[in-house]
Amino acid sequence: MMRIVIDETRCSGNGRCYTLEPALFTDDDRGYGQVIGDGLIAEDKFDAASRAVVACPEDAISINDDEPVTGSGRGDP
Amino acid sequence: MIDHSGFSLADVPLAADRTVGFRFVSSFGAVFEAADGTWVLSSAEAVQFAQRHPELFSSAGATQAGSGIPIPLIPVAVDPPAHLKYRRVLDPMFAPRVVNAIEGDLRAQVRDLVSAFADDGECDAIRDVARLFPTQVFLTFFGIRLADRDQLIDWVETMLDYSTGVGTAEASPEVVAAATGLFFYVQGYIDEKRADPGDDVLSRVLALDGDEAWSNEEVLGFTFLLTLAGLDTVAAAIGFVLLRLAQDAELRRRVIADPALTAAVIEETLRLEPPAPWVTRVTTEDVTVCGSLIPAGSSVILSLATANREPGTYAHPDEVDVMQADRGHVTFGGGIHRCLGSHLARRELRLVVEEFHRLIPDYEVAPAYRPEVRWPAGTLRLKTLPLVFPVSGTQS
Repeated sequence: MMRIVIDETRCSGNGRCYTLEPALFTDDDRGYGQVIGDGLIAEDKFDAASRAVVACPEDAISINDDEPVTGSGRGDP
Repeated sequence: MIDHSGFSLADVPLAADRTVGFRFVSSFGAVFEAADGTWVLSSAEAVQFAQRHPELFSSAGATQAGSGIPIPLIPVAVDPPAHLKYRRVLDPMFAPRVVNAIEGDLRAQVRDLVSAFADDGECDAIRDVARLFPTQVFLTFFGIRLADRDQLIDWVETMLDYSTGVGTAEASPEVVAAATGLFFYVQGYIDEKRADPGDDVLSRVLALDGDEAWSNEEVLGFTFLLTLAGLDTVAAAIGFVLLRLAQDAELRRRVIADPALTAAVIEETLRLEPPAPWVTRVTTEDVTVCGSLIPAGSSVILSLATANREPGTYAHPDEVDVMQADRGHVTFGGGIHRCLGSHLARRELRLVVEEFHRLIPDYEVAPAYRPEVRWPAGTLRLKTLPLVFPVSGTQS
């Protein structure tokens, strides 16, 4: 699985993510982008998520590998 | 290396062809010093760097409307942390969900405007739609009498026609007269709303109390700025979008066949024809951008228009290509000062195209028309856009 993340320190409310990919993103009451749910996406949503990454003028969106935290001592990515 | 000692923004050849003009600016380099000591950031990387570092590139004192009236333009001429105080209050008032709620009303307004000439076979899209609609939307949003529309347009156009939109040069007598008229009008309107509040943006700002309350000067600066920013820029963008569609019959037919392309054409036109092609900042310390050292206290021009045409970013940097519309642009600025009205502006543009095409799907520019803009000016915009179109004779 992959996880979409919006860096809130970078988002400035352009609204491109939820305009282009409303199945993955939504707007908050200020018009800033929010990831729908926990942001976990299956592989078939990767292209849609990538579209938002490219469209964000603030480079605020990233798609990260999401491996479960197992407590096995694996460090943060 | 081009000798840039002679560069002056006022001399950029923009009137006939923006591609020629913006390429001319870029040809001086990513970062360069103009003849008057102003620095120009022309590349996307340089512009983005400045947008993302408001602590280095200050807006306070950098932005004037050329009005000659010393009031703070809120929130564009405010730096962090005070800036956030204003945007926290204002962002929700201009958010997409607010625009969604009034879309039906706005659509009806533009439909009325287009219906008025749909049976005439010709129109001036600037005079008959572009100038009127954004002003009406502003009046609706602000709860101002629609009867004041034409007076407001006159003041704003005068102010923008006789200024450069950048720098802090002394205002001409025409600008001072218009700015003074607008200033007293806005103050009178604020007094009226204070006495008799409604369900509009200004009434809600005036209703803030305690630590959140705004002074009269703050309210005045905000209302004054929105009048300048909201009327003319959207009017200009409407003109450029309809021009593009009128000149390119193939593109227009594709949009009519697939209305989902409307947004892409609007984004591409905004990218190529930004009504406000540059914004200004002042450096707070010595700062190196793309290898050039800009001294502290320098006036800096962020050239949004050239950042929008970065060759490495777009397959066809100087052409409308709906396939690259996702790449976006900085016509609405970026970083903390991203245009407050961008969601409203985009909706207005879409409604104009949709309603225009509903009644007038086939149109072209009048013979011998030359789409020239006035430059220097506060906003790049077409003065006229005469269109001709067949009359079906069956419209009710």
